[in-house]
Amino acid sequence: MKRYLFLVVALLLAALYLFPLYWMYATALRPGGDLFRYPPEIWPSHPHFEITRVFLTYAVGRYVWNSLVVASGTTLITMVLGTGAAYVLARSRHPMVSVTLFVILVLQVLPPSLMVTPIFVAFNQLGLLEWPRLAVVLATSAKTLPFYIILCRATFAQVPGELEQAALVDGNSRVGAFFHIMLPLARNGILVVSTLVFLQSFGEYVYSRSLIASTDLQTATVGLSTFLGANAQDWAGLMTYASIYVTPILVIFILLQRHIVSGLTAGALK
Amino acid sequence: MYQIELDHLCKAYGRVQVLNDITINVETGSFVALVGPSGCGKSTLLRSIAGLDKITSGTIRIGGEVVNDRPPRERDIAMVFQSYALYPHMSVERNMTYSLRLRHRPKAEIRECLEATAQTLGLAGLLGRMPRDLSGGQRQRVAMGRAIVRKPRVFLFDEPLSNLDAALRVQMRSEIRRLHKRLEATSVYVTHDQIEAMTMADTVVVLRSGSVEQIGAPRDLYCHPANRFVAGFIGSPAMNFLKAKVTADGLSAALELADGQTLTLPEPQRPGRPIWLGLRPEHMEIGDETRQQHLQARVESVESTGSMSFIETKVAAVPLVVTQSGMPRVQEGMTVTIGINTNDIYAFDMENEVAL
Amino acid sequence: MRFLKAWRDSDAFNLVLVVPAVGYLLAFSAFPLIYNVVMSFQQVDMFDVGTLIRPLRGFGNYVDVFARSEAGTVLWNTVLFVVMSIVFQLSIGFALALFFQLDFPGAKWLRGLFLAGWVMPALVVGAIWRWIFAGDFGVLNYALRSLHLIGGPVFWTSDPSIALWSIIIANVWLGIPFNMILLSVGLAGIPDDVYEAAALDGAGMIERFRSITLPLMAPTLGAVISLGVIFTLQQFDLVAALTQGGPAGASNIAQYWSWQMSFETYEISDGAVVATLMMTVVAAVALIYVRAIRHEQRA
Repeated sequence: MKRYLFLVVALLLAALYLFPLYWMYATALRPGGDLFRYPPEIWPSHPHFEITRVFLTYAVGRYVWNSLVVASGTTLITMVLGTGAAYVLARSRHPMVSVTLFVILVLQVLPPSLMVTPIFVAFNQLGLLEWPRLAVVLATSAKTLPFYIILCRATFAQVPGELEQAALVDGNSRVGAFFHIMLPLARNGILVVSTLVFLQSFGEYVYSRSLIASTDLQTATVGLSTFLGANAQDWAGLMTYASIYVTPILVIFILLQRHIVSGLTAGALK
Repeated sequence: MYQIELDHLCKAYGRVQVLNDITINVETGSFVALVGPSGCGKSTLLRSIAGLDKITSGTIRIGGEVVNDRPPRERDIAMVFQSYALYPHMSVERNMTYSLRLRHRPKAEIRECLEATAQTLGLAGLLGRMPRDLSGGQRQRVAMGRAIVRKPRVFLFDEPLSNLDAALRVQMRSEIRRLHKRLEATSVYVTHDQIEAMTMADTVVVLRSGSVEQIGAPRDLYCHPANRFVAGFIGSPAMNFLKAKVTADGLSAALELADGQTLTLPEPQRPGRPIWLGLRPEHMEIGDETRQQHLQARVESVESTGSMSFIETKVAAVPLVVTQSGMPRVQEGMTVTIGINTNDIYAFDMENEVAL
Repeated sequence: MRFLKAWRDSDAFNLVLVVPAVGYLLAFSAFPLIYNVVMSFQQVDMFDVGTLIRPLRGFGNYVDVFARSEAGTVLWNTVLFVVMSIVFQLSIGFALALFFQLDFPGAKWLRGLFLAGWVMPALVVGAIWRWIFAGDFGVLNYALRSLHLIGGPVFWTSDPSIALWSIIIANVWLGIPFNMILLSVGLAGIPDDVYEAAALDGAGMIERFRSITLPLMAPTLGAVISLGVIFTLQQFDLVAALTQGGPAGASNIAQYWSWQMSFETYEISDGAVVATLMMTVVAAVALIYVRAIRHEQRA
């Protein structure tokens, strides 16, 4: 009996915590005029989703597309560069491994809002700002790469070393054993961590805001912050924008929830 | 068929010496067991033969060829791992044929090898299964199958039976032995279990902290241990050791006990020399007055498995274990006479523990 | 061909895998870090952004930054922001972690739901909270008024005395899941029999928490607090969405201030000064964190 009481309390706590997300959807579903009513309607009485209007006024499609481009590029660079490095750092007993890991840990914590100043100046001098989305991808990858390496390393470390040795004895080379044995066995972990990297870069703000000048190339977060400044009255529209933008993120999250929890905890404490 | 020659092998991790000047000759077609307590370097030695660990100095020859700098895949070896190391993402069939496919053998040949091996090991019905759907014993068989399917020059076994239950272990022991007789491939077998080593191998190598203590046939190790370590390691229950001093006549050893009992040594020794006397539990018989020599002891405790009894006695406060077949015929607290033959008495130098 | 074969079996393979990643990090992370320190000693503004050789100012920039009228407020706000965020994230996160340790149906799954806050883009979270905080029609003011906690509407984001608190509240919301999950892992690592032994020894609930849970959780708490400080010092998006440091700089914090100087007023060398100082702090905390997890591994 007590267990069910706990369950009820847990449900209430979760509902309280997730209220801001509910409020985003509830606001998006109310027509503009209903918003400025007191007391506010907790449950929208005549739900109405102004998706077309929001797409037209706020160019959600273009912004989200730019975010998608940035997130895909970042995830690609991170996976290509990070997977092999994570594997070596999990397996090798070379004395340089701990030094490298330490450097990576330190680089992981550098705040983008502070790194963006030197990156902006350096990229400006290199002419990289001519390709602003590439510039954002390059800068964001430097942030996601350490995170990816540390979490993936935990995944590789879980694959028993004897499997790789068996492959070597069976007649494979190091390269072959990596691609035939290690990669397939670490695949799930790699995919989860890559998804986390994708979600992170999909919501990236500082670099996009600072390195992309052209409105056409700006990402969804930058778009939202612009409208927050200008049209802070159209909350139904802004929350519709936010819902369109974050719903895919939340769907991915719910699908992968279990893996995300274990993936995250493996990396942060080990 | 190939022999393995290890010549003055050394390996160190930093300053820690894990293998120390090891020279072993494994004859073509023989079955050699490496045995020793954990941390003695037996697995490292095996992995060095496989090419999974690099050695610091010395040479490894397989079939007369120096393979020091060859990667594992060019040494033509097969290895059975302690954890079996079956590829979890491949079916039994794909696990077993992996090495053949890597060598791009023709399909028909792969098929043939696979079927022959599956037949031998009784795996025919399991080929489509995934490793996770197999029992421990089945996994062990697949690991064996993966090793023998490609007919390598050399077989290496790294404690392959240690994850099986006792009954299965005994069964696999004789099965591996039978397989070896049939395939006649040179085999090196690592185990910490001296019974496995004694029952399976033609030659046993006893290792301790990276050095070879003794190499010999199982019978030789049991009857003529080179030192106190080998004497204590081979045989179960372990040999009893009692401190003693050679008496003035050089023929017998006075036990350094309060009651001053003596035993006559098989060989005369320097008078006054401090020694360890070694007595195997199974070489002593309680109440046997017909044997050449006797010790007086007090029974401390009695344990019996029905077929065997383990009797713990004390010879003037020093423990001495004696085994008897069948149910025990003595009780705690009794004072008994223990009979032993002169030839079953071992003596080791107190200082360097070498057999005398 | 022979070279290729040797390469496939040797340690060179390790290098081929590691060097690109490390090289990338050196180029895009370590280099900017150093470049930032260099710029903090130079005069950098809109006009000489494109050149490499710039007038050297030594510690002049540092003196300038600290002489600014808003420097004191920003420093104090940053300290308050970090300390308050950590205190609330940690205590709420710890309480939730303890609660979800209890045995009831769906505990794991419901706990996982809290991570939804973690995957949300912080800027969107800021936008939602700004709407919740809205003065006249915001749902928070409505709730507080219904509970008779406040008389009239509170202008969360535009009242200078509480604007910073609106950022803190949103940041605590963002930080709770991470704190809770990591602390849950730490709690799960304490074996049940330790508690049972303590109970047999006569320790009550509170005594068990004090004498067993807290000491055994110390390394985890150390790691979580350091991570919390690191994440809080990275928080930028919430400020951008909620107050932009306003009104009149009342809720500004160092990382936002640095960005404002670099990108709004183009006093890039001053922005670099603040960035350099802040990164020193972050690196120091990171060192504590690394030590804490080393300790954790040994335990």
